[in-house]
Order: sequence, then structure tokens, then C-alpha cells
Amino acid sequence: MDAILSGLATGFSVALDPFNLMLVLVGCFLGTLIGALPGLGPINGVANLLPIAYGLKFPPESALILLAGIYYGAEYGGRISSILLNVPGDASAVMTTLDGHPMALRGEAGKALSTFAVASFIGGTIAVVLMTLFGPLLASVAVGFSPANYVALMVFAFASLASLVGKSTVKTLLGALIGLMLATIGIDANTGVPRYTFGIPDLLAGIDFLIVVVGLFGMAELIHLVEQQVKGTLKSLPVDKSFVQVSDIIKLRWTILRSSFIGFIIGVLPGTGASVASAVAYGTEKRLAGPEEAKSFGTGNIRGLAAPEAANNAAAGGAMVPMLTLGIPGSGTTAILLGALLMFNVQPGPLLFTQKPEIAWGLVASMYIGNVALLVINLPLVGLFARLLTIPQHYLTPLIAILAFIGIYTIVGNPHDLFLITALGIFGWFLRKLEFSLAPVILGFVLGSLFENNLRQALSISGGDWAILTEDGTSIVLYILAFAVVFAPIWLSRRARRAAAAQ
Amino acid sequence: MADRLFASFLLIVTLAYAYIAWTLIEAPFQYDPLGPESWPRILAAAAIPCILYVFWRPDAEPFAVTKYTWFRIAVMVVLLFAYAELYEPLGFIISTILFGTIVALSLGAPRFGALAFGVGIGVFGYLLCVTLMGLNLPEGDIVEAAIEIFNGGAE
Repeated sequence: MDAILSGLATGFSVALDPFNLMLVLVGCFLGTLIGALPGLGPINGVANLLPIAYGLKFPPESALILLAGIYYGAEYGGRISSILLNVPGDASAVMTTLDGHPMALRGEAGKALSTFAVASFIGGTIAVVLMTLFGPLLASVAVGFSPANYVALMVFAFASLASLVGKSTVKTLLGALIGLMLATIGIDANTGVPRYTFGIPDLLAGIDFLIVVVGLFGMAELIHLVEQQVKGTLKSLPVDKSFVQVSDIIKLRWTILRSSFIGFIIGVLPGTGASVASAVAYGTEKRLAGPEEAKSFGTGNIRGLAAPEAANNAAAGGAMVPMLTLGIPGSGTTAILLGALLMFNVQPGPLLFTQKPEIAWGLVASMYIGNVALLVINLPLVGLFARLLTIPQHYLTPLIAILAFIGIYTIVGNPHDLFLITALGIFGWFLRKLEFSLAPVILGFVLGSLFENNLRQALSISGGDWAILTEDGTSIVLYILAFAVVFAPIWLSRRARRAAAAQ
Repeated sequence: MADRLFASFLLIVTLAYAYIAWTLIEAPFQYDPLGPESWPRILAAAAIPCILYVFWRPDAEPFAVTKYTWFRIAVMVVLLFAYAELYEPLGFIISTILFGTIVALSLGAPRFGALAFGVGIGVFGYLLCVTLMGLNLPEGDIVEAAIEIFNGGAE
């Protein structure tokens, strides 16, 4: 406990530094701005701004605080377009449109927006508190992990990814494999042998992480926007004066608490982020509401709005836990943050909390501040963000390309990479069109070298004996969990079907 | 159908990937049991069954993209490649003005609005990034040459 308190003290001294404090606020504001733009989700926002944040040459903790603020803000901002336009910015916002948009249609847009702000605040804060308590604990367990344990952990991460993300397990797995394969391009660090470089000097160092992220997310999004282009601007509902009452929040307290815990736990699971969390929380609330009230879900029930929102923000915080303590990101967006850490030569993992407390704890502290900042920014300024929704798509689309080009050129400074991101954008658009989710690809790409190196180290230790992978208890538990996470949903759905058939 | 086409494309790439892993990659000498070729072999061995499964059971919606949409996407891609090609020779300001204006126009912005958008982003974007944030953006070979001639002529 003492260690946590002194860690928090370190963290707040970093986060309350006037410059960093300003970055949290700027990040939250920018993030909300980007999230509020229709069609641009948090992952695209962070992907597009990451190279620029890197190019500003801030110290790593400041840059990371800025990015985390953008990430948090974008999760928030995406909800504004869900509620007012019925256009979800990303997969996790889909649940919010179900009840949020009907409320706005009924003339309760102000109430819907303020409810979501409060629910998100509570969810986010609970997640940060849990993270403060359990993060260092998990880190201290993970310090003892051997390479073989890490291999098991990766298997678990990819298993939960395959089972819980996306529509098709095989496609998600294939996406992760594509990411892993992309990561093998370049010189093998252990032996100095070039792999898949085809004699092209630009490929010797491997494909830059930023290029993959901006290409697969930013540029693919742009092509998607061109495809979806609707004539004229979308019509936004007006923000009225209705507002959430304290009595509403008190009525919602159990909903918000339950959903926050659900969200946090799902967020911590490696590979599964906010989209799964919000769907599970919504489903749980609907089931608990009883058959009478369940009918009103989807027609503007305030519980149906608060539940996915609290879960979503709790998951966003929860996803940070495995990223910081194990070096394994809990979602696509945290995979990008992990890549950002690696670019600053910071290796996230169990030692991060002790070796670089200013980064780990600074980030945690900035999340406390970010939560408050978002509430303060969002309640009064929501009208301003709502006006952004009417930015015509024909200006938004070229803007994404220009931002992506600025970002890549300033970091890599090589015009060939501008072609590469465009090509990856086309590839990413095809993947998206064929219902592959892109988060696994980026997760595979980020984790590729970690996975390979641990496997090779483990086998070096055992002298080539593969049995080392299943030799100790920790690994076996992780493999059992991996097995359970893949087969439990299949088994549960079979059982549900049989029960339905029996009735 | 689209799923199968894409799966065949992936299969060809993965087979090439596997071929390289099995024949071309080898370390001249190594002490570790797993060399640089092992990991790509494992990945290829895992990917091929997945691809075959997608091939066997495609599940994506039919690829409902109209000819007109294909055309617009193709135009966009050509514009992006042109933007990338001209980025350094013309410099950020000119290439961005051109790109921003043309894309906005092609997506249906009013003529004057598109021009204002392009010029605004090109000029203010450059000032903001280079002067305020200290980022490195191309000034442009042509612009540099023009400035040189201008300076040379003034002397």
C-alpha cells in the first residue's frame, strides 16, 4: 500500500507539472474533437496524431500523457456523434446509439449527453482506482515470468483475441497472423540475417510501426469515407436544455457500478477492448432489467445508455493494465500506445513501475486528471463539439490524408513511405470490407518480436526441448485459460440452443 | 466470392512466404536451437489452415461496391499517389493546395470553398507545423530553386 501511495505521489508530481497538465487538457480536448468528427474513432485519432506527437520531441512521459489524453478524449467524443447523429465512431460506440439516439430524438439530447458524461466519468475513475491497486500487484507477479511463461501468455492473449473480437474467430486469428508476418520483415536481431527484405535497403530495419498504424487505420479509414460518401451533410439533432438530475444518477448507481466492473475486467483481458465490454454490459443490464423493462431497451432507456458508457470507459482504463505491467496491450488502441512507448525506447513490462516510475505512475495520475478534465470539458462544451459534427465530409476526407502525410513525412522523412501508407491503406480497406477486424493485425505486429524472442529464448534455455513450454504451473494455467476462453463461448451457445430447443 | 478471391491472394503470398522461410533464410552459423527461419515457418504453418478455412467457408457479405464507387476510390488512390509523388518536388504548400482543392472538389465541395480549404490548409498547415511546432516538412525543390533565382536576380 505504501508503495502505491508513494508511486501515486510520484505520478501526480509528474502529471501536475504545468506543462504536462496542459498536455492532459490539450489531449483530452483534441481527442474529444477528433472523436466527435463523424466516422473517426479513437483508434484512427490516436493513429493519425501519434507521428505528430512523436515529432514534437517531448520527453517520453509527456508525449505519452498527451496520447493517453487523446485516447480518452476520443472515446468520449465518439459518443457525441453516436447520440446526435446515430453514426457510431467505432465498434464500441454501437451500443451507445441503441438508446442514446432514441433519447435525443425524444428531445432529451442534453439529458442523454450529460448522463453519458457522468457514467463515463464514474466508469473511468473506477477503472483508474482498480488499476492503481492491481497494476503494481500484477507487475510484481509478472516479474518472475520466464520466457516460457511469456509464450503461454501470448498464446492466451491471441486466444482471447480470436474468441472475443470480431465476427469470425478464424478471420481474427488470420488477421493477427498477418500482423505477426509483417513483423518478421527486416533484419533478425539475433543472427543478423535479413528476412523478406528482397534486397531493398529501406526494409532492412523492418517496416516502421507508424507506417503500419497510419496506413491500416488512417488511410483505410479515408478510403472507407470515400466509399461511404453521402451527398450533403448529415443532419445533427439539436442539443436542448434538458440535463441529467442527481436523482437519475442515484437511480442508476448499481447499473453504473456493475458495468464499470464488467468493463474493467474485460478491458484487462489481453486483446479485448471497449467494444466487447460495452456489448457485454448492455446485454447484462438488459437481462437484469426483467422482461417488462427489457422491452424499453433500444427505445431510449437511460439504463441502456449508462451501462455501455460506464463499461466502455472502464475498459479503456482496464486495457492499460496489461499494457503497462506485462507489455501486452489490452486493445487495438493500447497496442498503438505500446508501439509509441517502444518508439521512445521504453520497454513496458513488469519492471516499468520500478524502473521508470515517472512514466508508469505519471500516466496513471494523468488518467485521474484526464477523467475530471473530460467531465469539465464535456458538460459545458458539448454544444461546441456538436457543431463539429456538421463538418462536411468533403473537407474531412482530404484533411485525414494531409494529417497522415505530415505525420509520416516528419518522422520518417522518406517520400517512399508515403506510397507505402497508401498501399497499406488499400490493403486495410479490403480487410475491413471482408469483415476482418484491424485491431488484431496491429496487435500481432506489435507483439511479433516479443513473441518470437521469448520462444527462442525459452528453447535456448532448454537446449531445443519444446517441453519447456508446458513445464511449470503458471504456463499450464495460462494454457488452460486460453483453452477455456476459446471453447467456453462455443459451449455456452450450444447449451443455450439446447435449452431453447427443450422449451 | 470476394472472400475467396482475397483468400487466394493471401494463400499465394503465404506460400511464397513459406517457400522463402524453408529455402532461402538461413543463418551462416548459430548457437540457438531456433534460427531466424523457424518463426516464419511456424507462422506460415498456422496461417495456411486459416486461409483454407476462409476459402472453404467464406462468410463475408457480397462485395456490394458499385462501379461508380470503384471509380471514385480509384480516383482517390491516384490522387494520393500523385500527392506522394509531388510532395518533395513541389513542397508541402503547393502540393497540399493542389491536393486539398482537387479532393474537396471531386467529393462535391463548392468551388470557392474547396479553393479556400486547400489554400488555408496548405499555408496555415505549413506555418503551424514548421514555425510553431518545429516539424520538418518539405519546402520543395521548385520553391527552393525559385527563391534562389529570385535572390540571385535581386543582387
